[in-house]
This record gives sequence, structure tokens and C-alpha cells, in this order.
Amino acid sequence: MISFFTSHFATLRLEFWALLVGGVANGLIYAMVAIGYTMVYGVLRLINFAHSEIFMSGGFGGLFVLRALVGNSTPSGMSSFVLVIVGIVSGALVGAILAALLERVAYRPLRRRNAPKLAYLISAIGASYFLFNMAGKEFGRYNLAVPQIFNDHPVFTIYGAPVQLYAIIVLIAGLIMLVVLDRIVATTRLGRSIRAVAQDAETASLMGVNIDRTIATTFILGGALGGAAGFLFGLGSGVVFTMGFTPALKAFTAAVLGGIGNLRGAVIGGLLLGLVESFSVAFVNGAYIDVVAFVILVLVLLVRPTGILGERLGRAA
Amino acid sequence: MRRVWDNPLVRRLMASMAIAVVVAVVTGPPGSSEKPSAGLSGSFAEKSSFFGLFQTRRFVVFVAFALLFWGAWSLWLAWGEMVKFRSTKLLRRPRAVTERRSIRWSAAIVLIVIGFLLPTFVHDPFWQTVMVEQIAIYVLLALGLNVVVGFAGLLDLGFVAFYAIGAYATAWVTGALPTPAPFGGPINPFFAIPIAIVMVMLAGIILGAPTLRLRGDYLAIVTLGFGEIIAIFANNLYGITGGATGTNQIPHFSIHLGPVKYLWGLAPVPYYYLALGFVVLFLVVFSLLEHSRVGRAWTAIREDEVAAESIGINPLKYKVMAFSIGAASSGFAGVMTAAQTNFVSPTSFGLLFSINILVLVIFGGMGSIKGVLIGAIAIQTMSMYLIHTPPAGYQPPDLYIYLGALLVVMMIFRPAGLFPSRRRKREIGLAEAGEGHMDEVLTGDVP
Amino acid sequence: MTTDNIFDVRNVTLRFGGVVSLSDVSLHHQRGEILAVIGPNGAGKTSLFNSLTGVYQPQEGVITFTGRDVTPISIIGRKAHRVSSAGVARTFQASRMFSALTTFENVKIGAESHKGIGAFGAMVKGPRTRRGERESDLKTIELLNFVGLRDKANTVSASLSYGDRRRLEIARGLATNPQVLLLDEPAAGTNPAEKIQLTELIRKVRDEMGVSILLIEHDMKLVMSLAERLYVLNFGSVIAEGTPAEIRANTSVVEAYLGSSEHEPEGLM
Repeated sequence: MISFFTSHFATLRLEFWALLVGGVANGLIYAMVAIGYTMVYGVLRLINFAHSEIFMSGGFGGLFVLRALVGNSTPSGMSSFVLVIVGIVSGALVGAILAALLERVAYRPLRRRNAPKLAYLISAIGASYFLFNMAGKEFGRYNLAVPQIFNDHPVFTIYGAPVQLYAIIVLIAGLIMLVVLDRIVATTRLGRSIRAVAQDAETASLMGVNIDRTIATTFILGGALGGAAGFLFGLGSGVVFTMGFTPALKAFTAAVLGGIGNLRGAVIGGLLLGLVESFSVAFVNGAYIDVVAFVILVLVLLVRPTGILGERLGRAA
Repeated sequence: MRRVWDNPLVRRLMASMAIAVVVAVVTGPPGSSEKPSAGLSGSFAEKSSFFGLFQTRRFVVFVAFALLFWGAWSLWLAWGEMVKFRSTKLLRRPRAVTERRSIRWSAAIVLIVIGFLLPTFVHDPFWQTVMVEQIAIYVLLALGLNVVVGFAGLLDLGFVAFYAIGAYATAWVTGALPTPAPFGGPINPFFAIPIAIVMVMLAGIILGAPTLRLRGDYLAIVTLGFGEIIAIFANNLYGITGGATGTNQIPHFSIHLGPVKYLWGLAPVPYYYLALGFVVLFLVVFSLLEHSRVGRAWTAIREDEVAAESIGINPLKYKVMAFSIGAASSGFAGVMTAAQTNFVSPTSFGLLFSINILVLVIFGGMGSIKGVLIGAIAIQTMSMYLIHTPPAGYQPPDLYIYLGALLVVMMIFRPAGLFPSRRRKREIGLAEAGEGHMDEVLTGDVP
Repeated sequence: MTTDNIFDVRNVTLRFGGVVSLSDVSLHHQRGEILAVIGPNGAGKTSLFNSLTGVYQPQEGVITFTGRDVTPISIIGRKAHRVSSAGVARTFQASRMFSALTTFENVKIGAESHKGIGAFGAMVKGPRTRRGERESDLKTIELLNFVGLRDKANTVSASLSYGDRRRLEIARGLATNPQVLLLDEPAAGTNPAEKIQLTELIRKVRDEMGVSILLIEHDMKLVMSLAERLYVLNFGSVIAEGTPAEIRANTSVVEAYLGSSEHEPEGLM
């Protein structure tokens, strides 16, 4: 028993910094996806079950755009930098477009009819299955690698742990996007109307907020972040039509962990989940890593369903 | 320019075109990662027959389809109400007849007789197998899920877990797994039926007791994850489940009662009769349950949990019960599958399975046993027809595209299903009118 | 005053985060009494109801309930369905029926909720189940007669008028064989004629069924004619107690009412 722990903690000590960096990078990706869940939850009080497919679409979007641009060349330096940005932007764009379409087709008709929430959930599940199987049909049902747009190498080391370029890209891109989104929601007019709808849709509409448009832009913002996250994830693990399922389930866990409806909660939840998952490698057989997040989800929901920061609908920032 | 867009006819035309494009792509040839546009371009450029009249490019067909659809849609908006009014007038009489008790009973008996005689009409081995593996089994699963989703109003997206537990339990007690069989050695799968049913019912209680405290939308996502977790364990616990390859050592059912000896072999028809017997059993049991106090308590909880609690109904107890009872029929379905195919592995219980069953329940009408039965038979027959005689460009996994789209379409146009339960239909109508407390149960929002 | 109390509430305090909803509330309800709790909006009346029925769990204090021949039990910490089994029935401020079910089914659910679950019996429909069904049917019909909804037994409850919804809720509550019936603003949304009928019905429930009544009401005319004793709540505290005549003469009560509007919907509770 004692040797069990010492050996595991030895791994933990040796790998601490590497696990930390990996955990933060993964956590940021979860956070970006979790934001989409949390924002839609804020305005509709619903879990968007099709968000996983927005994530997937971002992966494919980035993949195909980069493929067209890169061809047979091996980019480096400045062109690598530009291509990374192009990939993120195209992932975000595809994610945003799909999110807008999703809202229009699977949600708005139900909202018009004031349908019970069960109908929304089922409709979103249907949309999710339609989308990922459609992707499977159109793009093949196997894992595709994103073209190599940069030479992934250790850039520097922290206490001997090498930090890969990929992790740095995810860190920088993720942080920038999260900060930008936070500012949009906190300071712009658009953000104000989102917060107003989240707090009380009826009053907001009486005060002249266009509910339809606000809900659509909420989907678009969340979709853009989810799509970009999908591209970043695909950059590391490849792109496949079922890629959305597990990360989205984890991102949802992150959103609940931080307090659903709460933007900063989603970020904190994402980082926390990324780290816990990363460090649990030292204790749990790799095949069961996905179980860890699930157990956390069930525990949080049972013990503290309002999450760490609590549900703060409307006071999103 | 704005003017044109605001015209409802134009908007409808655009929507019809969009629908035609989606249908064209869904039914079109598959693409590939090398040429991601191949599917798209093929969907429009490939040759096709124009409604059986002459050969042309697909896009001509779909433009024609869009125009027809647009015309029908516009006509329906103009004249539909009148047609509906007329038709309900015409239909009123027969509908009243179906509500008479004696007629319903005789209809049920006729159906059972048809079910009994069916194998004498179906000789194609493909369809004989389908009747067992794809229809009877799925009807059992759908009936079980209907108890959970339809009666108790709990959206369970990991229902396949119970089916898997039933199948693995059979493999276990018949000695087909790497772990030694309990009860002192392998036993006949017949005895596995009660054992597996008891095991899945226990699993329903064990899984339900903690998770059913959650509000509805969280329950949905937790069960969705749960289906995956079961697959992860089945895949990785080599010593217990046989890992990714599973086992193919499960024996067939057999009877050795003194002089009576019978072995269910490879032929599907004997399995069909066995399954039919259990389908009838579960149909009777579940419909008795629906009209019992348990069924009424489920309705009460589904509609207004707070009020139900205030008159002494313990919601958790009844929800766990729904989970457990719903699991029973899928546990039996698991035994059937395991014993008939001799085989069980994690791939049989993938991600897509639970949703397939959900579609059967939603299509027929959640909460309506008759609807679920008809829906399950109809959808499974159609999807098997697509496998039997696939249209050009159709691959088996494409089925899930259609099923996913069907869920969305049903929710938009007919959320209570094609043959709705009267209570459910009323509930949805009331929720849309802003009455009732259905949403509270789902989201935990107390206004 | 150590007579036969059905509810004994001692020093109950209920908080939501930083908001104190009930502060040091003490009251008692004698068996067989029609007791009313009045007070301006947001005074904590519905919070009190929810604490008495196990929906809310107050942080401090004791609530004791004494059924007819049972030893006293503590309400705090008991779940709502167990409070109901102990013999406490209630109605809601905005009626909460099972709206897609008929009047008959609504009451029947109440009548059978305290019998053992018997899922197996329900599945095989044995003789015991059948007998149980028949008993519940008879009881339901009896109660529908009692509240005057017999002719609407097969009406879907969502299409009932406000007054009929109240009756239905009362019948459903009575079906659980309660010792006490808690009525949360029974007259809200009803017309004057319905109000009179309702008053008669409430009195009949007490006189003929021996069920004690605790009600919250805004309609002063109704309260003063019906209640035998009143408590006045303001800002979560009891500010007065007495007979209708005593309360009418109490100046602090009049002040509390002048300071607020009666028609605003209540806030959190």
C-alpha cells in the first residue's frame, strides 16, 4: 500500500511540470468549449447537446482550409505563424456558422411554439447525431491529421520539463480568445443585451432588446470559441467525426464545475478539470482517464450542483 | 430588395431550396477526406432518374423536388385548415370505434395472431433474422425506454447500458467470460433470463438511486456519459469481460425436461417465437402498469413534482422504480441477443445505440405503448430495408443521419409522436400554452 | 395554553443566503381550529407554509406536529412527502394540479399515494390491487361529491375555473387523510360568489371531517369571517396574535398594512 503511493507520487514529482503544462493547455480547450455551454444556458436555460458537433466542425474547418493553403510545402517561421491564425479563424468561423444554423433550425421553431424544454433537448440530440454522422459520410470515418504547419519542438524547459510549441500556441490563443470574449460580454452593447436576456428575457424584450438576435449572437459567440477550440484540439490529436463527444462531455463538466451560466466559472472549471485529469495520469490507468471527468461530473452535480462560483445568470462577467 | 425577402412566398421558396439541398446531400454519394467536396458535387452532378421518367442530373431532380415541396407547402397553408377540418369530420366515427374496449381487445388478439403467423409468410432468411435481431429485440428495448422516458419523463440517453449488462450477465452465468461462472458452473441461458433481469433491475436501482436526484437535463447528460463509461469498462477489463473482443462462447437456449428436448440453434424462427412471447408479456405488464397507481404516480411526478410530493408521493422512489422496471425488458433483450448470436462485445453497445432506441420511442409517441410498438416496427423495418436494398451511395452508418434528422423534425412538427398518448399530447399542449409545471421538473427552475 | 396543539412552532428562523425570511417565529395551532396567518406581501407567510410542509428546512427552531393519536414528530428535516404521510395536506398559492389529468384522476392520485407501492401487484393486477383501486375510486367519488365537483369528474383539470381548481386542490389534499389542511390564499383569483362557496366549504371541511385548517389569505373579509384566531406576520416576525376582533383593534397591524400594497405579487415567497 505504501509502496503504491510512493511510486505514484514519484511519477507525480518527476512529471509535475510537464503534467502542469499539459493540464493547463487541455484545460483552456475545455474552458473555450465550456463557455459555449454556459452562454447558451444563460440565455435559454438549456444544455446545448449539439455543442459537441460545433467543436467537431471547427476541427474539420481548420483542417480543410489549411490543407488547401499548405499543399505540399513545409511552412516555417512567419508563414507558420500566419497559418496557425488562419486555422484558428477558420475553425471559429465554421463553428460560428454552424451554431447560427443550429439555432435557426433546431431551436428557433421550438421557441416560436413555446415548446416544453424536453423537446429542445431531444431536438438538439437529434441535430448532434445528424451532424456528426453527416461529417462521417462526407469526410470519411477515420482520424485525419491536420497538415503540419509548424515544427512542434520543445521551446523551453521548466525545471527540466520541456514545453512544446503546441502547448504554447494553445495557451496564447486560448487566453487571448477568452479575454476578448470576456470583454465583449462585459463592456459592449451586445454583451449588455446578452446579460439582460440571461437575467430576465421578458423584461429585456420590454426594454427593447431583440431576443431573437441576442440568442442568435450568443450561439455565434459560443460557436466561434467552440470551433476554434476544435481546431486547436485537432491540431494535437487529429480530426475525426466523433471527436466532439468526449471533449464536449468534459467541457460540460467544466461548466458545471465552475457554476453553469457563469463565464469565469467556466474558465476556472475548465482549467481545474484539465489539471485534475492531467495529474490523475499518475494514479489512474490511461484507459480510464475519461472516467475521471465523468466521476467528477456526477460528484459535483450531487454535492454542489451550483458549482464553485455558483450559478450567476446574467451577471456573466 | 428587402421587399422581395419579406414576401412569405419567397421565403418559403428559399426554405424549400435549402431543404432540397440538405436532402440531396444526405441521400447523395459519400465524400472522402481526400476530396471532401466529392460528396457535395456528386450529390448534384451525378446522373439519376427523374422520378422514374428519364435520366438526368441529380440537381434537376432536387430543384423539381424543391418546387413541388414549395407548392405543396403553400397550398397547405392556404387550404390546409379546411382539409383538416373536413378530414376530422370524416374520421370522427372510426376514431370513436377504436376507443371501445372490446374492439381494442380483439384488435390486440388479431395482432398477436398475425405476429404468430408472420414467420410462415416470411421465408427470406435475411428478413427472418431481422425479425428477431432488429425488430423483436428493438421493440423490447423501446418498450423499456418508454417506461423511463414516456411514463416517468426521465430522459435516459445511456439506456444501452442495461442491454449490455443483460448480455454480459448472460455470458457470465453461462460460463462464456474469462471470469468463472457463478452458481457452480455454466448454466442454460434459460436460467439466465431471470438472473439477468434481476441483475439489470438491481443495476437500475444502483445507478438510479444517486443520479435520479438530479434534475432532468443533468440526468440526460449523466446518462449519456454513463453509456460511454460502461463501454470503457467493458473494453478494458480483459480479465472480466474479455476486453475488446468479448466472447463468442455463449450457448444457445435449450430445453431438457425429461423426454422433451429442444435446442434453439442457428435458425431465427424459434427465437422469434420466444421473443414474441416476451414482447406480449412486457406489453401486457407495462400497459397494466400505465393504468395502475404506479403509472398515475409517474404522471403526477412528470407533471408537477412539487405537487406530487405534497400529497405524499416520494419522487425518487418512483423514478428509481421506473429505471428498474424499464431496465427489465432491455435486460431480457440482452439475454436474447447474447444467446442467439453466441456473441457479446463492447462494439455491440456503442454510442449510437441509445439514440436509435430513443428515436423509436419518440417517433411512435413517448408514453404511448401502441405508438412505441408501431414506431419501433416501422423504423426498424425501414432501416433494415435500406440495408437489404441500399439506394446508390447509401452506407449503413448513414442511417444515423436520418434518425438524427427525424428527431429534429418530430420535435418541430409533432413532439408527442405519430400515435401520441393522450396524456402526453395534452401535457405538451398545456406547456406550450404556458400552463403546468413540466419544465420545472426538467430544469429545476422554480419561478 | 398547553392544550391539544396540532402544530407547535417554536423560535423558527429561516434564511436564504443573507436574507432572513422568518425570524424567531413562534406559534401554535390548536386541534380543530381554523387559524389564519395574515401579513403584507413578503412578510414570510408562504415561507412559513413551506417550512411547515417540509419544502424548506429552517436553520433554527423546532416545529412539532402531533397527529391524532401519534406521538409528536418534528417536521424540520423531514422531506415533503413524509410530512404529507404524517397527516399534513396543503394547497398552493397558484394552484398546482396535474393539469393534463382529469379531476377524478387528480383526486385519485391523492387517495392512493399513501398505500404501499405494490409495483408487482400493479403489474399482475391481483385481487388486492383491484380492491385497492375500488376503494380509491369510491373515496374519490365521495370527496368529489363533498367539494361539489362530481359533475366535473371527467373534465381535464386545466380547463377548470379558478374556484373549481381550489376545490380540486382541497379534495386532493383531503384524499390523503390529513389531520390538518394548509390553504395558501385559497380565494386568490375567485369571484365573490365563489368566495362565499369556498368559505362554506372550508368550514365544512373542519366541521364534518374534523380537519384543522391553517390558511394564509389576503382577502380580509374572508379571513375575518372564517378564522377563529389569527397571527400577523411582518418582515418575517409575528407582530400580533388574537381573535379577529382583537386584530382589528390592533394599531401596529393597521400600520403594517398601510405601508404596503396588497396587489403586488409576493417576491421570493
